[in-house]
Amino acid sequence: MFRRSAVAVTACAVLAATTTACSSGFDKNENGPEQDTGKGQSLRVLVAVSGDAETKAVKKATAAWEKKSGHKVTVQLAKDIDQQLAQAFAGNRPPDAFYVNSDQFANYAKGGSLYAYGEKVPDKEDFAPQLRKAFTHKGELVCLPKDFSTLGLVVNTEKWKEAGLSEKDYPDTWDELEKTAAKLTKGKTAGLVTTNEYQRLGVFMKQAGGWITDSSESKMTADSKENAEGLGFAKKLLRSGSMKYAKQVDTGWAGEALGKGRAAMIIEGNWLAGAMKQDFPDVDYKVLPLPEGPAGKGTLAFSNCWGVAKESTHQKAAVDLVRHLTSAKEQLASSDAIGVMPSRESVMDEFAKEHPESAGWAEGDAYAQSPVTVPGFTKVLDQFNSDLQSLSTGKPATILSTLQRNGEQALKKGD
Amino acid sequence: MRTTDAEGTGTETTVPGTNGNGTAGTGGAGTSGAVTGSAAAGKAARAGRRKQAAAAEERPVLARFPRPARLAGYTLLLAFALLYALPFLIQVATSFKTDPEAASRPLSLLPEAPTTAVFEKLSGSGEAGDGVPFTRWLGNSTLVTVVVTLGRVLFDSAAGYALARLRFRGRALLVTFVIAVMAVPPVVLLIPKFLVLNTLGIFDTYTGMIVPLLFDAAGIFIMKQFFESIPREVEEAARIDGAGIGRIFWYVVLPMSRPALITVTLLSFQGSWNEFTHFLVATQSSDYETLTTGLARFVSGGLGAGTQYPLKLGAALLSTIPVAVLFFCFQRYFIRGANAGAVKE
Amino acid sequence: MSTSTGTPAPPSTAGRPGPSPRSRFASRGTRGREGLWGWLFVSPMVLGLGLFMALPIVMAAWVSLLNWDGQSNPFTPDADFVGLANYRSLLAEDGLARTLLATSLRNNTYYVLLTVPLQTALSLTLAIVVNQRMLRGRSMLRTTFYFPSVTSSIAVCTVFLFLFQGSGAVNQLLGYVGVKGPNWFADPRGVLWVLLEAAGVIDGEKPGGFLAEHRLMGLPWSEWLAGPSVAMCTLILLAVWTTSGTFMLIFLAALQNIPRELEEAAALDGAARRHVLRHVLLPALRPVMFLVTTLGLIATWQVFDQVYVLGQGDPANTTLTPAFLSYSYGFDNAEFGQGAAISFVLLAIVLLMTGVQRVLLRERGSRRPRRARGRQAQDTPEKGAVRAHD
Repeated sequence: MFRRSAVAVTACAVLAATTTACSSGFDKNENGPEQDTGKGQSLRVLVAVSGDAETKAVKKATAAWEKKSGHKVTVQLAKDIDQQLAQAFAGNRPPDAFYVNSDQFANYAKGGSLYAYGEKVPDKEDFAPQLRKAFTHKGELVCLPKDFSTLGLVVNTEKWKEAGLSEKDYPDTWDELEKTAAKLTKGKTAGLVTTNEYQRLGVFMKQAGGWITDSSESKMTADSKENAEGLGFAKKLLRSGSMKYAKQVDTGWAGEALGKGRAAMIIEGNWLAGAMKQDFPDVDYKVLPLPEGPAGKGTLAFSNCWGVAKESTHQKAAVDLVRHLTSAKEQLASSDAIGVMPSRESVMDEFAKEHPESAGWAEGDAYAQSPVTVPGFTKVLDQFNSDLQSLSTGKPATILSTLQRNGEQALKKGD
Repeated sequence: MRTTDAEGTGTETTVPGTNGNGTAGTGGAGTSGAVTGSAAAGKAARAGRRKQAAAAEERPVLARFPRPARLAGYTLLLAFALLYALPFLIQVATSFKTDPEAASRPLSLLPEAPTTAVFEKLSGSGEAGDGVPFTRWLGNSTLVTVVVTLGRVLFDSAAGYALARLRFRGRALLVTFVIAVMAVPPVVLLIPKFLVLNTLGIFDTYTGMIVPLLFDAAGIFIMKQFFESIPREVEEAARIDGAGIGRIFWYVVLPMSRPALITVTLLSFQGSWNEFTHFLVATQSSDYETLTTGLARFVSGGLGAGTQYPLKLGAALLSTIPVAVLFFCFQRYFIRGANAGAVKE
Repeated sequence: MSTSTGTPAPPSTAGRPGPSPRSRFASRGTRGREGLWGWLFVSPMVLGLGLFMALPIVMAAWVSLLNWDGQSNPFTPDADFVGLANYRSLLAEDGLARTLLATSLRNNTYYVLLTVPLQTALSLTLAIVVNQRMLRGRSMLRTTFYFPSVTSSIAVCTVFLFLFQGSGAVNQLLGYVGVKGPNWFADPRGVLWVLLEAAGVIDGEKPGGFLAEHRLMGLPWSEWLAGPSVAMCTLILLAVWTTSGTFMLIFLAALQNIPRELEEAAALDGAARRHVLRHVLLPALRPVMFLVTTLGLIATWQVFDQVYVLGQGDPANTTLTPAFLSYSYGFDNAEFGQGAAISFVLLAIVLLMTGVQRVLLRERGSRRPRRARGRQAQDTPEKGAVRAHD
């Protein structure tokens, strides 16, 4: 008996020793980790790219900085950046710099995973105010906006002509959209293709005069009449067969459907430009502002910022890299390559001049709605997106009341 | 059970005359066999006489089905077998197709314009292979699999031997412990494992990928059951000659355990090569992606990457090949593994 | 493949004499040495299993009581301890977490209810066919049926993703026989409603009225009753396809263990084929059938890899399973406490299944000697074994 308990005690002791003696991945220094100040530091950058075009642009830009600074940068492409970042923060091994989506920003900032470097950037005033606001936490600008994009209606000009339509027929209202979509639906081509997420279908809610929350994001307004009208219109299109989700036409996203001729019109953002140039250089398309709904025009705006990890040991170098990547010159270069709009006001005019074809997106800046950024809201919006998948057989009012209920609970929990 | 299994596979090797053409055990002993060539029939008959006992064992109990029923049966069976094989054939064909062809003719088994672009891209020589660092995945998978397999064989046999033969305090308790561990479903350990790896500071490292996989309760049981089947006299003889326990284990018992060792080796190889969930929670950065995690993320995520089915299927194909080769070479052991521990008392 | 395998029941030691009585050659000294060597041999295993199987459960139990977002150390006194709140929100409070858990339980229940009988029936049929002594090429067939079981689940899922596209190979095949296949992975409709719609009973809208308005665990009855979605059906097909080979081998081994005399006696009595099947084979296979069913029950509750690759719960959460929900709460949303709590709910389900299996096995074990003499030794081994295909 003595032996067994002795063994048990030893085993427990060994177990305890191993668990405590090793440097735990959870241990964090109050003031952040000790900084590497040497030369030739090696930085990891995690990006979620929209396609090969963006990959190339990012690599080119970081390579230029490598040459300038003497440091080394490894660019990693995230397949699912939210999941990878969540795991990296929890595992205490975050990349040094990474994309932060505006809808995840609040989660990371609140959790203390981001190094707030924004205030130290001398020319921060040049970045568009609404973008700076999106990446401010507790009155501090945390990270620099990378770029921004809005959604537009993109038409395949060839399909357009095939259907006997001219420029005069570009849809300006819901009615016209419905009619042209029906006209363009033929064989394997769907009139209008988009993805089943509120980040696209939300435009109809906005155009009907509604939105998920009030403007301060403190109250849910999901179950409003306007929202139901917006989704009702989308449902009508889905049921008529003239609107399809990208997956229903065997594509991964709407841009691929446009390029492969499975869609005559799509609702997509600026990043489409780079992807089309890369993957479908021969397909002609035209970008239009989204048609007006009962409450006028409406679109959604998206933005990323360059986050720098609090746990990074290369904060200084990472900030330097980010400043290089967000410089006016690099922003214009990435606009050329990817299609996204610059986040600096000083170069917006130049962008508009150089990219007249993107005017349909650029004008959306004036009336665009940003995504919901409430911390802890991811699951709520995921659920909404799932419900939207069965919009064609579901009831908009039911979907919205579920969203209202779930959102209210999340808001209450966040307080 | 092994003896009976040997009838299924074994007769084909031990009595080649009766079933050289794959008619497993029709035997030549009188039944109107399917072997029609006179020479073959004669040979089969001779072999049959020689092995009369075995052949009697192989004679069907009931009369054969009438011919039409037999034909219908074979057709149906063949169609069914095709259902099992077709996905793999389509996979091979598609990896030699171009993207548009894969989309327009998904069913055809012969590519119109065969291309090896997929494999060039995967081997890293093609353009824009960035999203699919296949060679990196392959390297990681190989490294982890080799180390895990070696480690498992060692630990499984040592622990199996101790639990089967050595008498020490707490052994019964340990057996219960191993059984309890086997009852824990691996998928509930996703978050828990992550917590431990992180606490130990080995999250996102090779150590964290390899070490937890080294301990595998099922393998221990296979070894334990095998060792229990070895006659004790062998060890006693060695012990009289003055060999210690370590020597007996290493020089006497292990060499006798080849079949079980091969089974455990193969199962460990297959298991760690195909392992997914552990790597999913044990790593985060793309430096440590294996064939499974890399492929899974590539296939499931990546909006904007397009469908690229030939590339995906090509990568999946290459990742299947090592296990497939082992399977076809050592099928006997895989089958034994499926019924593992099937050792006669 | 994770679905092909279950958590095996313990290989029972019944029928095995255990270590033989101590040899008279063994002295006191060897006994002490044996203890030393014994612990030396098992210590890596004890340490490893303890560290990576037992300790994680303890840690996760603690984390399931926290509100932890992954961005701090949970094992310090300042962790945000919330007691049983994570379990409450899963089981007792009306809200998103409970609805999601209910959805995943619904999905997985249908998955289990369809997969287990199908794979058992199919593998039994295959085993009986492949066991025909007159069959040509049976080893080829056996190889063909078994091969899907040894390949990686991820690779196989990739292939299925391609085959079941809207305009993919499967739908093209169906087109040859005049059936317009659905867009498998993008179709969230429950098969029951699809069938009712085809029969003209409903008009393609989700049913309203009583079923839609009344809820169980936050999920309307119309959702509970919808059946597996079309997308879920592909997962079921995949599971049946990949696991039937393994189970076929188990049946095959058992079939080959049936004493020939039994069959021959039946044949001499002039019993027809189906009588032999019904009165000789099936009764003799009953223990193995039971084993395969319970293994299937346990394994199907753990489906994860397939869900990860084939849609991560899409379309419309109809392929969401508790295992994936737990992962997604933890790693996608950084709500590790909630995720860990779901793990424990799942653990309870799986342990319940294992417990039921044990109890039934024990009951059967006590009856067995009278029914099938001489087969105790035979059906114990596989139980410890099927795990091998992880």
